[in-house]
Amino acid sequence: MKTINIASTEKSPKVFFDPRKHVFEMEGNSRPENVRDFYYPIIDTLRDYFEDIAEKQTRSETNNAFNFNFKLEYFNSASAKFISDILVIIRNGYDKGINMKVNWYFDEGDDDMKEVGEDFSEMISFPFSFIMVKR
Amino acid sequence: MKKYDVIINHKGIIDLEVIDDILLKLKNYLHENKIELVIRKRVYTLAVESLDNIYKHADHSIHIQKIISEFPPRFIVEKICDDFVIHTGNIILESNKEKIISKLERINTLSQEEIIQLYKKSLSHAEISDKGGAGLGLIVMAKTTAQKIKYDFDKINDKFFYFAMQLTIKK
Repeated sequence: MKTINIASTEKSPKVFFDPRKHVFEMEGNSRPENVRDFYYPIIDTLRDYFEDIAEKQTRSETNNAFNFNFKLEYFNSASAKFISDILVIIRNGYDKGINMKVNWYFDEGDDDMKEVGEDFSEMISFPFSFIMVKR
Repeated sequence: MKKYDVIINHKGIIDLEVIDDILLKLKNYLHENKIELVIRKRVYTLAVESLDNIYKHADHSIHIQKIISEFPPRFIVEKICDDFVIHTGNIILESNKEKIISKLERINTLSQEEIIQLYKKSLSHAEISDKGGAGLGLIVMAKTTAQKIKYDFDKINDKFFYFAMQLTIKK
């Protein structure tokens, strides 16, 4: 079972994935120098994991949901493309019976970050929980 | 706080190191001057996308170094009262001019709501190029400024133009 644990830098977010804990988390800024090298392994790990468990699982509301926590401060347009790819994996997993939950965090006063989350939610036709963080 | 200020005034090659320096300087200015969070992030977004555009799309090959020294890339951020204005400039090949004009003209005819729809559609179809771009830069700029994008092309010679763009963030 593959996990992800990438520390944040000034230009790239912290990324954490632990299937045993049912958690995926991204936090910080995202404008990595090589956006493909940064995101491809993350996307491959998530896709492989959820495709694999989708075959074994039947949906049950009592199953612990997978929590996807997006705590992003800033991301550039190329990163947005990859974030949308991750969201599509979430949507596909949900369609295959996996209990998924998306938590979209935004700072108090950062209406644009909330709107971006609303746009993503509409794009994949999947409801997000919006969580305002007071600084 | 000053009513008019030039926050960044860069003229010269734009590489990754220069981009990091500019963004750090800009971030510090916006923070120290306690600019409202939404405005701060919009100015930063426009700066990232426009610097990235210059870095990835400026036609900088080695044999045009002489032209670059005469027409260097530029990146300027001004504060005028409560507004922020970003000016960018870089050399482009004549063969790319029409493509840029048609993209900008199309974006400039759209309403803010239509730009958001275009952004969502483009995100799901975007492909990341070898240079790491998603082809979304101009759409993100239009979405962020919520103003028409001003631009101009000055002819350098038969092969090259100087492409200048102006983006405004209004409070």
